[in-house]
Amino acid sequence: MAGSHNKLSPPRWLLAELTYSCPLQCPYCSNPLDYAQLSSELSTDDWKRVLKQSREMGAVQLGFSGGEPLVRKDLVELVDYSHELGYYTNLITSGYNMDEAKIIALKEAGLDHIQISLQASSKELNDFIAGTESFEHKKETAKLIKKHGYPMVLCVVLHRQNIHQMKDILDMAIELGADFVELANTQYYGWAHHNRDQLMPSQEQLQNAEVIAKEYQASQQGRMKIYYVVPDYYEGRPKACMNGWGTTFLTIAPDGLALPCHSARQLPNFDCPSVRDHSISDIWNTSTAFNYFRGNDWMKEPCKSCPEKEKDFGGCHCQAFLLTGDAKNADPVCDLSPQHHTVTDAIEQASKTSQTGEKALLFRNTKNSKLFNH
Amino acid sequence: MSLLTDQALQIAPGYRLQWESAQNMFVLLYPEGLIELNQSSAEILQMCNGSNTQADIIQALEIKFETTGLENDIVNFLNIALDNGWLTQQT
Repeated sequence: MAGSHNKLSPPRWLLAELTYSCPLQCPYCSNPLDYAQLSSELSTDDWKRVLKQSREMGAVQLGFSGGEPLVRKDLVELVDYSHELGYYTNLITSGYNMDEAKIIALKEAGLDHIQISLQASSKELNDFIAGTESFEHKKETAKLIKKHGYPMVLCVVLHRQNIHQMKDILDMAIELGADFVELANTQYYGWAHHNRDQLMPSQEQLQNAEVIAKEYQASQQGRMKIYYVVPDYYEGRPKACMNGWGTTFLTIAPDGLALPCHSARQLPNFDCPSVRDHSISDIWNTSTAFNYFRGNDWMKEPCKSCPEKEKDFGGCHCQAFLLTGDAKNADPVCDLSPQHHTVTDAIEQASKTSQTGEKALLFRNTKNSKLFNH
Repeated sequence: MSLLTDQALQIAPGYRLQWESAQNMFVLLYPEGLIELNQSSAEILQMCNGSNTQADIIQALEIKFETTGLENDIVNFLNIALDNGWLTQQT
């Protein structure tokens, strides 16, 4: 059961962040701002050990992510190995630099599914947000993915600069033959948090977008599944983060840090364990980091006495830390949180920025990342 | 999508039914998701092999579990599975 100390559930989902390298520069990237200074990447053998140990624990869904996982020379070898272990393998990619030979090689290695991202429905905006000319190439890649029989998720991250394209984005998804569309409103971690004033849409923009999403959900029923991920800053209650801390998800970062959620690295004094030093079973069962928010003992008010605490587990701890400075506070997205004003202030601040002219977006690249070295 | 009584049922492309020994249960896997199946759901889905029709599945499971009257439960589940895109039928 989620959140229970007594009966530890095994990890079901392994997110393998193979690298922080990426040819794109999306300003809403969830990678850490200071990724450029993080130590060297795990070797192929390290990854194989992680994959085997996690599978033995019970992990069955596997996402290869990054950065851009295609940058890793051993991607096909890792897919092949994972397929042999019995994982359902998902590649989460920008599609950039993915040619037909690679699509075929991955298929032969047993890759089950590809999620490809586009940044917008028009070339001009896509290439601006991606920081790289990539629109036509990505669309060609999407067609090749379908040509070779993969199920395909098309992912578009939504924010103030592209949310008006909702209808065109969905028409594009139909044209490309997507089986699933993930319309994910930006979540404000990493680079997205830094660029929040320039990315956060207004309530009105969101309402318009949601109406369109619902129309298409109805008209595409049975053909294309559309997931619309709501932006939590505008919700009165927090999301049940990671389905409960240390209950389901295990992320391994490029440098080998094991994270209960992919933002957990930023939590201070958290001491996330590395797969270079510990087995997955030790990390999952006994590490301080993975046990930190299991159960309810860590909770403060208003979560401690809240009737909904088994539903949302207090929300997102990384968000609580980012906005209130203490990860043990209630996620301030919750309107019961005494710090809820940090969210409403952020909305107001973003609205002012949109009216007074845009501040420049800070694009995610190595040069900009070095600004955050400490 | 409604259930066609004379058409065979099969697991939809991109979906995979798999036994997980670590959890001691069958799961249905699909892009970025999994469904943990209870025993009866798993029994029905295992019968959806591309040649069995609804009637074949009912008959086989009633024999296997030495019982009768499974039709309603099985048809309800098959309809849900079709609506969710877990199963397909050739047309």
